[in-house]
Amino acid sequence: MSDNGLMKTLATYDRRWVYLVLFLVVIIPLLNPIGMPISVSPDTVQYHAAISSVEEGDHIFFTLNTEFSGYNEIQSGIIATMRVFIESNSKICVAVGHPEATGIPELVFQKLEHELEQNGYQYGEDYVILGYVMPNEASVAAMAQDFQGTISQDWLGRSIDDTFLSEINTWEDWDLIADFTTGLATTYLLNHFALRGTPMTVNCIGVMIASQKPYVDTGVYLAVLQSMRGGAELEYLTGHPGPGLTAMDAFTFGHYMLLLFIIAGNIGYYGYSRKQVGGR
Amino acid sequence: MVTMIDYSITIVGTFLAMCMFSTLYGKSSPLYALAEESYIGFGTGLTIVINAEYIWRTGIVNIMQGDYILILALILGAMILLRVHPKYNYIARIPIAIALGAQFGLNLRTIIFSGFTQQIVATIVPLFEGDMVTILYRWTVALSVIFMMTFFFYTIELSGSLKTSAKIGEYFLYTAFGAIFAQTFMGRLGLFVGFMQSFTVPPWKQPILLAAMIIVFVAVVVMDRTGMLEKYTPVE
Amino acid sequence: MSDILKNRELQLAIMALAFLLVFVPYFIESPGLETASTKLITITAIVNAVTLVLALQSQVKRGLNVIQRRQTGWYFKAYMIITMILMVIFAFFGRETGPYHWVMYAVVNPLSSVNYGILAFYMASTAARAFRARNTQAILLLTTGFIVLLYQAPLTGAYAPWLEPIALYFGNTFGMAAGRMFLISVTVGAIVFGVRVLLGKETSVLGIRQEDT
Repeated sequence: MSDNGLMKTLATYDRRWVYLVLFLVVIIPLLNPIGMPISVSPDTVQYHAAISSVEEGDHIFFTLNTEFSGYNEIQSGIIATMRVFIESNSKICVAVGHPEATGIPELVFQKLEHELEQNGYQYGEDYVILGYVMPNEASVAAMAQDFQGTISQDWLGRSIDDTFLSEINTWEDWDLIADFTTGLATTYLLNHFALRGTPMTVNCIGVMIASQKPYVDTGVYLAVLQSMRGGAELEYLTGHPGPGLTAMDAFTFGHYMLLLFIIAGNIGYYGYSRKQVGGR
Repeated sequence: MVTMIDYSITIVGTFLAMCMFSTLYGKSSPLYALAEESYIGFGTGLTIVINAEYIWRTGIVNIMQGDYILILALILGAMILLRVHPKYNYIARIPIAIALGAQFGLNLRTIIFSGFTQQIVATIVPLFEGDMVTILYRWTVALSVIFMMTFFFYTIELSGSLKTSAKIGEYFLYTAFGAIFAQTFMGRLGLFVGFMQSFTVPPWKQPILLAAMIIVFVAVVVMDRTGMLEKYTPVE
Repeated sequence: MSDILKNRELQLAIMALAFLLVFVPYFIESPGLETASTKLITITAIVNAVTLVLALQSQVKRGLNVIQRRQTGWYFKAYMIITMILMVIFAFFGRETGPYHWVMYAVVNPLSSVNYGILAFYMASTAARAFRARNTQAILLLTTGFIVLLYQAPLTGAYAPWLEPIALYFGNTFGMAAGRMFLISVTVGAIVFGVRVLLGKETSVLGIRQEDT
């Protein structure tokens, strides 16, 4: 049987073609946005309901358990959620679980400067940045059991005595934990806060979805926001388009590209590779 | 208003990022090594600073405020550093024992609930409540967990109904892997799309990105053609 | 003194005491025990943070080894050590602005982003080249993967809403069941391992070599 040129190409192409095509299908829509419609999943609706139930004066523990790379994926969820909390006039304490994440609060609050000003937010009175306070499980457990005995300063070394954090002693004093994670201290927050009854929501990267869904099912988490797509849906629900929605074109094309390559590879497999090994 | 600092951050960041992407060419290059060692060096330095600050804030500041029991933490920390000493490394065993014991205590007191009993209760209990769709969902989850578990029984020989159950579990696992793969790809794609967004928004960053891509790509190809890749790329 | 510190039984007893001091107050209400437990946990948090120095020592040692032996590209390792020291020095000039801040946004953040962003390429090329419908299991994997990938593309949900319940069914049942099954298995494994260490059956964790037992 003679070699079919097209089938052979589909079965044996250089992987760098995949790299190039992926690069192009991502960068072109980002440079020339189309603005495709999106649908909203039930999980995002559940998440939106959970964060919208926050009331004025509630104490929110806003934890960024992500490296900076993870921030690129879930920044839409982080910014949209923070906006909801600011608009509800709650008290927000930001903590990070990775040294690289120490630069993230600054970026988030820069993007929400208008909302902070509109709602009269003052540092210390309405929000505090603690910085890197979750290096390991013991540190999270210590914060849950004795917050005042563990934390005495914010990320720049200023005392927290005159801030709203003086009202926090144990896990019971938090009204919500909003966790944004690539998998660092989330399990510790679950074990030492959520399991004791502190309400908790999670915005995780795509890799973690399967491992986090069981906790929503058991009721430990109120809701899980899934990856960049969940963030884009949240932006849509809250009526504030941002980086999530603008990325959805590239997101769509990236997925379709992979599907086409898988189909092409299988056509090449059945049309060429399978015949080469004797039709096994 | 874009400042010179913003420009310098973008130019250096884009160039180094493209250097790291040069590994996709298929061969390691000195440019990739430059990006890699920059990340390791500066990243480790960052980790040192942040961890030292954590020890200062949680340990030393609290000691200065009267919590003298935390002096023990500093003593134990110093003892654990002797782990690398060829002669006195046994001194580190005591703080390791304390840290491990406490760590196991923290771990075991909670995962029994979150990772075991609650998961089993949620799988089995609400099987006959709700509408048809909810019942279908719950039965699928319950049966999937049971069948998948039998697939991983390695200590006994599987025969009869157990073997059938394991086979069904295998098929369910592959079905699950398809969904998990899709979610994982979504996550990875999100990471890359988010990264590209940070270098294309706002628009003044776009020419810098394009220039960096072209410069790095041309440099790598030229180095490959002239044999400089093998000569200057570090051996791991 | 060294004999006391090397005593295996002493280490196991200390480990067991530390375990009980953290484990018991979680289930039994006792303010005194609770306070002691919390202090031990805080001490452990600080001790664990100090162990970073050990990882650092190993990394610097490897780098210095390469420099001393003048292996190909040894200057990159020298560059790595210099940048590490520089970052620590920069922190003394302030963290909100200045060189520390510049390095964070110009070097660390972009490279961290690429570190994980590049995985999308590897995943895409692996999936394109390895996912073949060779047998029943592969067909099942490909079918589910196909449906969920299609659903995840936001445009699909807008024009083919009938796909949503099917994709959600696969994700929220089989996907979650697999996650739950792995979680239960890992939990049982962690409990068994923890008990084995506490009973002294896993001495390597404590740094006790076989010839010392």
